[in-house]
Amino acid sequence: MTLLRRSGYWEGSFEAMASPCSLLAEVANAEVARRLLAIARAEALRIEAKYSRYRTDNILYRINTSAGQPLEVDDETAQLLDYAAHCYTLSEGRFDVTSGVLRQVWRFDGSDRVPSAEAVIALLPRIGWEKISWQRPRLMVPPGMEIDFGGIGKEYAVDRSALLLAAETDASLLINYGGDLFATSARADGHSWRIGLDDPAATGERSTGELEIRRGAIATSGDARRYLLKDGIRYSHILDPRTGWPVPDAPHSVTVVADTCLEAGMLATFAMLMGREAEVFLGRQATGHHIIR
Amino acid sequence: MQLNNGRSIRQALAVATCTLLGTAPQSGHAADNAENWRVDGSILYYSEQDRVTVIEPVVFARRTFADDSALTLRLVYDSMTGASANGATLTNAPQTFTSPSGTSTYTTPANQTPLHQFSDQRVALAAEWEKPVNRMRRYVYGATISTENDYQSFGLSTTLLQDFNDKLSTFTAGLAGSYDLVQPIGGVPTPMQLLSTVVPSSGGDEGGDGGGKGKASLDGIVGFTQVLTRRLLTQFNYSIGYASGYLTDPYKVLSVVNATGATVDYRYESRPDTRIRQSLYWKTVYHLPHDVVHFSYRHYWDDWGVSADTVDLHYRLELWKGSYLQPHVRYATQNAADFYIHSLLNTNPAPVHASADYRLGDLVTTTVGLKFGLPVGKSSELSLRVESMTQSGNSHPADAIGIQKGFDLFPTIHSSIAQLTYTGRF
Repeated sequence: MTLLRRSGYWEGSFEAMASPCSLLAEVANAEVARRLLAIARAEALRIEAKYSRYRTDNILYRINTSAGQPLEVDDETAQLLDYAAHCYTLSEGRFDVTSGVLRQVWRFDGSDRVPSAEAVIALLPRIGWEKISWQRPRLMVPPGMEIDFGGIGKEYAVDRSALLLAAETDASLLINYGGDLFATSARADGHSWRIGLDDPAATGERSTGELEIRRGAIATSGDARRYLLKDGIRYSHILDPRTGWPVPDAPHSVTVVADTCLEAGMLATFAMLMGREAEVFLGRQATGHHIIR
Repeated sequence: MQLNNGRSIRQALAVATCTLLGTAPQSGHAADNAENWRVDGSILYYSEQDRVTVIEPVVFARRTFADDSALTLRLVYDSMTGASANGATLTNAPQTFTSPSGTSTYTTPANQTPLHQFSDQRVALAAEWEKPVNRMRRYVYGATISTENDYQSFGLSTTLLQDFNDKLSTFTAGLAGSYDLVQPIGGVPTPMQLLSTVVPSSGGDEGGDGGGKGKASLDGIVGFTQVLTRRLLTQFNYSIGYASGYLTDPYKVLSVVNATGATVDYRYESRPDTRIRQSLYWKTVYHLPHDVVHFSYRHYWDDWGVSADTVDLHYRLELWKGSYLQPHVRYATQNAADFYIHSLLNTNPAPVHASADYRLGDLVTTTVGLKFGLPVGKSSELSLRVESMTQSGNSHPADAIGIQKGFDLFPTIHSSIAQLTYTGRF
């Protein structure tokens, strides 16, 4: 956890959820900035600990090792499951928290190791939210299936941190967890926060544009470094859980502006899942966005 | 295609997100046992002033299983003692009534409402098996059996519950059938027979019409429940029931009076042997930030000419640490059956159907009550409910004859209910 003085604000940073996280805070002294940073970090780490799929001491592990036995989940997990169910319905099955098992055959490491059709088909019976029995607070995940909040967790952590920080200060804050952002209000001089957009072709080196935000969230879906290339076909890492295969013609990345980070993140993910229809889809949502093909 | 139909997805997503972020996370550990027992034990005390006393212990147990199916068992024992109005009107002379077999009689003093004394025990057992077919559909199968000294009842039912619209809507359809057997103590009376013509039979109380009388019923219900907002739930039900067989109350009589209004004889009552009952029911539950309001309205009608309207209001006031206070008011009005009549004139021929049973008359029922619930330990609750009910009708009907005008032909009935319940989960 580090804290640096910038011109007009403090910049705190820490690592969580396998991403660099930062908090920009327009507060006068380091003491206040450090306290806010500690709150944000604690919340990000709490959510990571609770929903990380790399741990064996959390609710997600208990769910994924329940082997078909029903279990009762706490309120927060129940809310997330309800949310996942909504997203599944809204996306007509394209967004599915049970699709993580596809990682067993799809490794987007830039190589040409595209799995066989048989290997993909063999996984499909273990995918599909409709196979999960969810009657709050009771969840039953059939053996072989898994739940993964990876597609929601980071955005959820941003929004949760924003809520906690807003209760502490009226100062303008910009929360950035691995590229998913939330600004609490315009800066003291009335200006917006300016966000540079990463060029997927030169990650971290070049930006393709800039977005301005006073209050609200920005989230990006897509990672230009994660793909497979075989026989001249580029396979994006956005997988359609209904087929088990990458979404054809998915954009390289989609960035969406919305009121909350969860909404921005979901709309961006939905747009990716729409493939060549991404522009049409986001055009209808009447919200700020930026698509890179 | 929801993803293609434009803007609604963004709004729907915004609502879902608000719901998710609107609830503060609570630390705590989830219980891993989905299989559990819920057991309720309660005792109900019902008392009609100067009339009936019922003491009713109930044991209710519900076991939920890993696959979301559930078994519900309910055991009821009633001990009923007291007296109920036999239908004859109050008059200025002592009145004597004879059982259909002619072997037993009872006498009511002058100026008192004639009551029929009884003492009975009832044991009823109901079982229900709830089986989810998939995430959106459940079936419930039920069976009941009930036995009293003079009454047996057997029933079977099945209900379909279909969720849709993201479980915000539920459609219900149910069918129930039952068969009842009545073996009146003192025999089965001959409808409209004058009590003065009853001849004592050698068969004692087994006399009269001899054995038992049966009644078959078939009931159907369709319902729709809709969650309108996070706070508002509404439900509509329509039910229809058909009963066929012995629908007469063997213990009820009608006074036969002369032109001066003096009682000269009695007739056993007679009801049609079929009845079609229908009702519409609307219920709304509104969750305030802390409290909950339940409101329901029911409209009932049948082909005997009875119609009734009932409004019911509960307000659950949350107190401290999970305890609550729940005031309750209920108001019901009923229009009499076509064949309801307070007494018969001796110069008129006996009608085919007639009953002076106050429960088939014009009736206004008012109930006020209060329930207090107190959590006990982590997952149990103790509650006490007290209610007071008043039933009143037309005490001085316009067609009262002679001296009847001076009597209260429909005395108001006051009753009290107290119920203590313990609910535990294991």
